Amino acid sequence: MTSDSQKTEPFATTGRSRKGEPLVWLTAAGLAIGVVMALGLFLLILVKGASSFWPKRIESFELRKGDSSEQVSGFITQTRERKDAEGKAVEEIQIFRGNKDLSADTFLYADTRDIIARNISKNTLLIERLTYGPAIGEAVAITQGGTRIAAEAANFRSALNEILEKSEEMRSEILHIERKEIGKVSVAMEKLQRDEKAKRKSTEQATRERATLQVEYDKLKAQATELEQKLNTNTLTYRVAGGREVTASFSQLLSIFAPNQTGFFERLGESFRRAWHFLIEEPREANTEGGVFPAIFGTVVMTLVMSLFVTPFGVIAAIYLREYAKQGFMVRIVRICVNNLAGVPSIVFGVFGLAFFVYFVGGAIDRNLYHEALPTPTFGTPGILWASLTLALLTLPVVIVATEEALSAVPRGVREAALACGASKWQAIQRVVLPASLPGILTGVILAMARGAGEVAPLMLVGVVKLAPSLPIDDIAPFIHAERKFMHLGFHIYDLGFQSPDAEAAKPFVYATALLLIVVVVTLNLAAILIRNRLKKRFAVSSF
Amino acid sequence: MSDDKSSIPDPKRFEVSKATLWFDHFMGWAIRFGGISVIIAVFGIFYFIGKEVLPLFQSGKVEENIKVSAEVAPLILGVDEWGEMPFFYSAGKSIIFVDGKSRERTEMQVPGLEGLEITACSYDPVNRRVALGLSDGRVGSFIVGYQRIFENGEAKGVKPTLTAEPWFQMKSGAGAISEIAYGDDGAARVIAVKRGMGETCSVEILRLGMKGGLIGGKKLALLAEVDVTAQIAGEPEMLCASQNGSIVLAANAKGEVTYLLADSSGISKRQVFTPFGESGLAEIDFLFGGVSAILTAKDGRQQQWSLYRSSEDAERLFGMTKEFPSIGSGKKVFAKSQRNRTFLTGAGSELSIRHSTSGAVRWEGKTDIEPAAAILDAKGESFWIASTSGEARKYEIKDHHPDAGWEAFFGKVWYEGGAEPVYQWQSTGGTGDFEAKFSLMPLIFGSLKGTAYALLFSIPVALLAAIFSAAFLPADVKRIVKPTLEIMSSLPSVVLGFLAGLWLAPLLENSVPSVIMLVLFIPATALLIGFFWCRTPLSFRNRFGGGTEWMIVLPFLALAAWLAWSLGPVVEKIFFIYTDPSGAKIADFRLWWPQVTGTRFEQRNSLVLGFIMGFAVIPVIFTIAEDALSNVPKNLTAAASALGANRWQVVWTVMLPVASSGIFSALMIGFGRAVGETMVMVMATGNTPITEWNLFSGMRTLSANIAVELPEAPVGSTHYRTLFLGAVVLFAMTFVMNTIAEILRQRLREKNKLV
Repeated sequence: MTSDSQKTEPFATTGRSRKGEPLVWLTAAGLAIGVVMALGLFLLILVKGASSFWPKRIESFELRKGDSSEQVSGFITQTRERKDAEGKAVEEIQIFRGNKDLSADTFLYADTRDIIARNISKNTLLIERLTYGPAIGEAVAITQGGTRIAAEAANFRSALNEILEKSEEMRSEILHIERKEIGKVSVAMEKLQRDEKAKRKSTEQATRERATLQVEYDKLKAQATELEQKLNTNTLTYRVAGGREVTASFSQLLSIFAPNQTGFFERLGESFRRAWHFLIEEPREANTEGGVFPAIFGTVVMTLVMSLFVTPFGVIAAIYLREYAKQGFMVRIVRICVNNLAGVPSIVFGVFGLAFFVYFVGGAIDRNLYHEALPTPTFGTPGILWASLTLALLTLPVVIVATEEALSAVPRGVREAALACGASKWQAIQRVVLPASLPGILTGVILAMARGAGEVAPLMLVGVVKLAPSLPIDDIAPFIHAERKFMHLGFHIYDLGFQSPDAEAAKPFVYATALLLIVVVVTLNLAAILIRNRLKKRFAVSSF
Repeated sequence: MSDDKSSIPDPKRFEVSKATLWFDHFMGWAIRFGGISVIIAVFGIFYFIGKEVLPLFQSGKVEENIKVSAEVAPLILGVDEWGEMPFFYSAGKSIIFVDGKSRERTEMQVPGLEGLEITACSYDPVNRRVALGLSDGRVGSFIVGYQRIFENGEAKGVKPTLTAEPWFQMKSGAGAISEIAYGDDGAARVIAVKRGMGETCSVEILRLGMKGGLIGGKKLALLAEVDVTAQIAGEPEMLCASQNGSIVLAANAKGEVTYLLADSSGISKRQVFTPFGESGLAEIDFLFGGVSAILTAKDGRQQQWSLYRSSEDAERLFGMTKEFPSIGSGKKVFAKSQRNRTFLTGAGSELSIRHSTSGAVRWEGKTDIEPAAAILDAKGESFWIASTSGEARKYEIKDHHPDAGWEAFFGKVWYEGGAEPVYQWQSTGGTGDFEAKFSLMPLIFGSLKGTAYALLFSIPVALLAAIFSAAFLPADVKRIVKPTLEIMSSLPSVVLGFLAGLWLAPLLENSVPSVIMLVLFIPATALLIGFFWCRTPLSFRNRFGGGTEWMIVLPFLALAAWLAWSLGPVVEKIFFIYTDPSGAKIADFRLWWPQVTGTRFEQRNSLVLGFIMGFAVIPVIFTIAEDALSNVPKNLTAAASALGANRWQVVWTVMLPVASSGIFSALMIGFGRAVGETMVMVMATGNTPITEWNLFSGMRTLSANIAVELPEAPVGSTHYRTLFLGAVVLFAMTFVMNTIAEILRQRLREKNKLV
């Protein structure tokens, strides 16, 4: 259909006629704008997303504040122009100074005229913490099990790194106990409660078992508390801008980086480390810190489950329409409708998913299979299964159309040859037609996955949440929890950018998440295009 | 030789194995079944969404299910909140309860009524309070309470209780009390009383409130008694106090209604109005919320009068907002709902249920008795009527969406408190008596506005790009350029929305003049270059290959863009000067725009939206239009060239007309993409349901509305179903557009084949 095959030269640009020539240039400008927009947007997100990991130099400012002055250290996040009361443009900088535990406004706007002095101090550290976001300050000393090592001491750095490493280990141990061990106990508790309600277990038996579980729970809790206390004996004392000294326990400290005394490659390494943590960690601090691992996981699982549903059904429907159905008026109507479904707004599918899957099907499952848990719904509430099914419906037209196109592109001769060799209809389809159209079908499935991965609006109705306590797949039986709500990269962007209590602090994260999502979607699309191009070449050879 | 048989092939060799045939057969049916069920499932979407919407358009159903007799003529009929046990009171010392299920009749003495002569009574169904007036000028009340009785965790009937309230002796006026009305909202209470009859009658308003010390709790006490006889036109026949305890309406025999307002400054007459002229009134009743009253004339005409301000600073006065069909003559009955603006009314044995917001008659029917009193239960699920002979009937109401209907969704509706009928969407409110406003028109308008501004930017860019790509771009360049633009369409819309809301909106907020300059400069630059280019010597032009214009024009466009951007502030200083109240002049477009046009300037506006939506819409239009243009048969364009047309003439006179229907279908598909877009709309439009075409304000679109409100809407409520209706509208818009586009495209394909 495209004009790729037309090898003729376009009309020469060098005619003598001047009529309409400016309009030709106008169309050229149109194309130029389109291409610049497309590339510009990708570039913008690439730069903004990648730079959000880059450790900036921390500057120390002395700012005029009325008659006195104030010491502030932090990095500049933004420079902007503002009109003051007289309508004169004033340059203003936005400084991120961290230390949310000490003052509420972590972002500070300063008039450039109010800066008395600014310098870069070598010793300023950026301290990542579990809560309250990063701290910015200069190290004073560390206390390890009662012994104090001052920052000037020679073994300070090595001791610091050692404690950080050890803390990391202990923290992961605590996390393991809290999440896995205690999680198992509470799952058992819930099951016990359901059993008791359904009268599968007598009250005495339930009470006995509950007591055993409670003992186990207390033991685990004590273990965790003990480790926590051990962690708390190690502290770091640092001095923030203005001279105030703060002591923090190592149970809170994640990493310490000195951006002002490191070179380019070290900072690059730090960027990669941050990017890696962004990928593998769980979010903290209302999603503005930590990583997006649950969102990546949720997106991937949802997309895979979706393609698991959409591929067989889409392919079967397409084979039926193309190979089995009688080609007539009805099939033409169906085809037009299926084509048009691809253009139906995604939110409409979400509305359908909510009414049909969640309330109708899910409600019925709850009434029949999860009777004991009611009125708390199990499947009668949005969840990853319903989200996947909704998106499968949404992307079904994509797969049907692509498969149909691929099937119709198989040359008639090939088909007839197979039949002439004595193949039955299904054998011809299975052995000849399907293998030949496989790349086309694959293209369709990949396009469907790309569309599904980037779609957010319907998910808001059928299963996505801003923070899911647990992943839809884990190591607690029955391993796959199809009813659970999940996190999604796209929704994460919406939530961080528009629902977050600290939208300003979340901005770099939003760009990074957007970059991640775009990389996924564009990769899938590029794969589809590449397969499509190879497919064309194949048929150019095989047709006769 | 010896193996003779082998030369004759075994006929079985040519037989297909049974298993193959069976499998073929099986697969054939499996695929047929699978295919047809997938297609049915896809169309099941329409069915299911339709099923959710349909109840909105059903009228109410009413069914008689219980007949009992109380053997007294009730002046007051009341019922518990479950509609199980009505009571009948006829201004005596006792009250009669009849159990609807067992038909058991119980007579209970009202406490504290011994030796008193009751001359007036009225009933407030919200507090279940019977107000009484005595012959000696005392006023008082008692409350009918009901308790649910449970047996083994199951509801087993109700038990009535009676609680007496204090008496208050009136000081002014003389004679027996002939009319009484009680209004109570918990804190403020008023009692409107008429004493005596004829010439000597007087009207008083009593205000009650909670008074008391710190210890011992609060006690109901009389705060003030005001004689308002002089303020009321004529001798009142009827008194009516609003539920919120601040409004009293008094109607006289000439049909004049006096509106008295009790507020912190006292009680004063605000208005006298004559709803039906001389013919006189039969009924005045406040609706739920106490802002509107339903007035019924003696001849059966019925009107709704509501309090509203006719202009910003006018006083809140009554005005007629709706006229209902006549209920006919005969004894009138009236009962209001306690949860929405539905009411039951009737005359003679004709009854009807009406909804005041939509003005619709929800149900109409006849009864076998002539009711003298009627009452709706608190949930609005049933009503009781009783005749003068004491016969009573219970009717079950099945009307889940009384506030829905074509008028409510697509027509202008005069809401309570509004100065005129409007299109309005406001699905939730802060107070319990809030009236939900479900007009879809502002949302449809928002969708169309967003789409219009998106297309305003996208169509020119996409079509120009498509023309250049199809007519002038070399095939090998096109192989790269086209997918680049196509990939743009796969950008997740949440990313676009986020960029629009958090990056572009703050950026453009200060630079509107620069944007205006850009819009002027970019096309002008392109045209100018074209104008000068064709005047350069051929030898110079020949150095550039055909179809490289878009690369040549790029640096010039960049230059023009930079120039336009930096010229913006200069232009702002010259043209967009805002004069603030003190007379100072500030060059700021954001302030200038509201001052000049009277409309607002918002950060997240249609300008930002239009540009960002370009990323979603341009690739869609571009791809389809480009295909249509590329598929114009070569022999046509070649013939035009051969006849001496230059390259633009070929495009203008041959390619565009031939591909016009394809281009049209591209536009429609672009429309479909823009109208259904959700995340960008949620994030970049501000989501206010306004109806103005202002470029610098936002909107609330159907799609964004669904995404924002559906997760919070209670399942099965009118709100929930209305959002589904919004989805149906959205679906219909895109489906119709896409179908037309698809048919056009197929036609074009056939047409091109013939040529």
